[in-house]
Amino acid sequence: MNDTAIRALGLAKEYKIGEAQHNTLRDQIMAGARSLLRRGIKRQRHDRFWALRDVSFEVKKGEMVGIIGHNGAGKSTLLKILSRITEPTLGRAEIQGRVGSLLEVGTGFHFELTGRENVYLYGAILGMSKAEIDSKFKKIVEFSEIEQFLDTAVKHYSSGMYVRLAFAVAAHLDPEILLIDEVLSVGDLAFQRKCMEQARSLRESDATVVVVSHNMFSIKAMCDRVIYLSHGKVLADGTPAEIIPLYERDILGGAGELDTPRWAQARLGSDMEKRSVTVTGMQILDEVGQPRSVFDFGERVRVQVKYQIRQRSLRPNFVVALIRSDGISACNYSSSLDGLNVAPGPGEGEFELLLPPVKLVADLYAVHVMAWDEKFQQLYGAQIGGSFHVRHDLFNSHFGVYHEAADWSSPNSRGERVGENSAVKVETP
Amino acid sequence: MPSATVTTSAAEERVPPFPKPKVLPITVVQPSKGWFQLDLRTLWEYRELLYFLVWRDIKVRYKQTAIGAAWAICQPLLTMMIFAIIFGKFAKFPSDNVPYPIFAFAGLLPWIYFSQSISRSGASLVADATLIRKIYFPRFVIPAASVVAPLVDFALSFLILLVMMGWYHVRPSWATLLLPLFVGLAVCAAMGVSLWLSALNVRYRDVGHAIPFLVQFWMYASPVAYPLSLVPQRWHLIYSLNPIVAVVEGFRWGLLGKQTPELGAILIGSVVSLILLVSGLIFFKRMERSFADIV
Repeated sequence: MNDTAIRALGLAKEYKIGEAQHNTLRDQIMAGARSLLRRGIKRQRHDRFWALRDVSFEVKKGEMVGIIGHNGAGKSTLLKILSRITEPTLGRAEIQGRVGSLLEVGTGFHFELTGRENVYLYGAILGMSKAEIDSKFKKIVEFSEIEQFLDTAVKHYSSGMYVRLAFAVAAHLDPEILLIDEVLSVGDLAFQRKCMEQARSLRESDATVVVVSHNMFSIKAMCDRVIYLSHGKVLADGTPAEIIPLYERDILGGAGELDTPRWAQARLGSDMEKRSVTVTGMQILDEVGQPRSVFDFGERVRVQVKYQIRQRSLRPNFVVALIRSDGISACNYSSSLDGLNVAPGPGEGEFELLLPPVKLVADLYAVHVMAWDEKFQQLYGAQIGGSFHVRHDLFNSHFGVYHEAADWSSPNSRGERVGENSAVKVETP
Repeated sequence: MPSATVTTSAAEERVPPFPKPKVLPITVVQPSKGWFQLDLRTLWEYRELLYFLVWRDIKVRYKQTAIGAAWAICQPLLTMMIFAIIFGKFAKFPSDNVPYPIFAFAGLLPWIYFSQSISRSGASLVADATLIRKIYFPRFVIPAASVVAPLVDFALSFLILLVMMGWYHVRPSWATLLLPLFVGLAVCAAMGVSLWLSALNVRYRDVGHAIPFLVQFWMYASPVAYPLSLVPQRWHLIYSLNPIVAVVEGFRWGLLGKQTPELGAILIGSVVSLILLVSGLIFFKRMERSFADIV
């Protein structure tokens, strides 16, 4: 047990849902009466649900582990069990060290109390002793940046201030093991950056951290290891580079590679052999030809596609579309519009497109390859090939779809228009 | 009130890390076996949280009020006045050879503490549902805080009682030394009933609705407005199963120098209190496992 911080063995959790939740005596009596009358009919088991099944893993001291999975996969339930908030139905976990859980920021804050009072209350709730809070009080207040309002009741705070104060207390929790549930992205951009720094400092310390997150960036940036949960089971366990692509493929709407996107399934049918055009291979590379999955803003992406045309004399107009993780179609490139000569079918072929420097905001983009006619009316084939991340510190989907610098200018003291990028240059005497 | 002043000093860079325990505790998380586990050690570890929850309850109660803590004395005083008029003057209840107002007040004091405890603790777990769902701590501290917090109001009202005793020239006897025991008995009974009610309320919300009625009924079943002597002798045994009977008797004995306290009632009440406390603890611990799932 020496260098293992957490050992989970076969953890499972069953919940009763729906009607089985009897909240009042009356409900219980009614249900009892109903089951008496229905004796003989087999009792339905629709009222039970396994949130976790046979989850086992080990976390060594000092490791930072990310837990990813779709909504409802059991990630929060796992953290709750490790935090001892709820009991497992089966299995066990051995934990060495004190555990600090951040499952929600600001639980236990009381609105009538002042900021100062809430720091003590929340700190005590999180498990810090009064002496510990006293020693860290100054740092907490500095981190939260609300020193001016420390003695006003929290009910008068804006939501941003409230969250900053709560996070400031939570950030100074210093246990051996920290369990975090998606609370790292709170507040405005400046504060978020602070939070990321705090997360990075966690990395440097010898704390063992288990993070649940949907934010692949933070997971890639912080974690040495990723566990992928799906429907209550551990699907995969490995490095971020191995596991995250599995997850991304699953959530982008394809169970495997080169699957048909859902919107096209009705039009094209499910039989690939009958399709006029199919994509047989795809690779996403950088400008110099190395396969990559993360690109910086402004880099050029190469997409290589191998295809097969079955229909005689068909010259498809290939469209490569970049679909963002929230479903928005960010960008489309058309082979016929851009002047590619495609040899008519039947037969196999391949093409490559070198995208202009990518100005799309930071996000995950799926690459869809479609084959249309020139007028974009008839669909011959559609498949999802792969995906890639665009990375930028600032421009995310709040900024829109893409970003490019514009030319700005403003009048100087003499009323003439001047600007760095302005076409009109005014000489100053 | 904990306070720390925030002063900045350019020279200070990093606060040295707060000392960590040398030997790391190993916790095993697994489905609970058996009837219940008392786990007193964890309870002791979280004693500071109990303090903070009590502090929170007291602070919040009187925030933004004009007369603040004076409310603590209003309730017993005003109730006593109404009792004195209705039961003392109109109905002419006997009052153990002591002026009726102080007779009533001595009974009201522990009664109000008890009723406040169970009223607040009944819904306490549900009120702090978000805490229970998201944070780990022994759930016992929540009803415990509701039982400890009204002691502050009790202490304030007690001062008023002392003033009244001076006013009516009532002299205490040696039995006054036993008063802390009776306060302890009241806390014991309040804790036991609170554990039962709060745990039941998590599963069956009817309990929360029933508490106001329970409290009303309980008051009339206790010798607060009337003396124990009013109850026919043959009913005394059953009547004394109510632990508040023992508490009020003890208070009247200790403070008002009552000549013949009913020791039998006091004994029965004490035993019942103890049973309530122990059974409450067991029941609470057993139900605790599922609180986070069903609250």
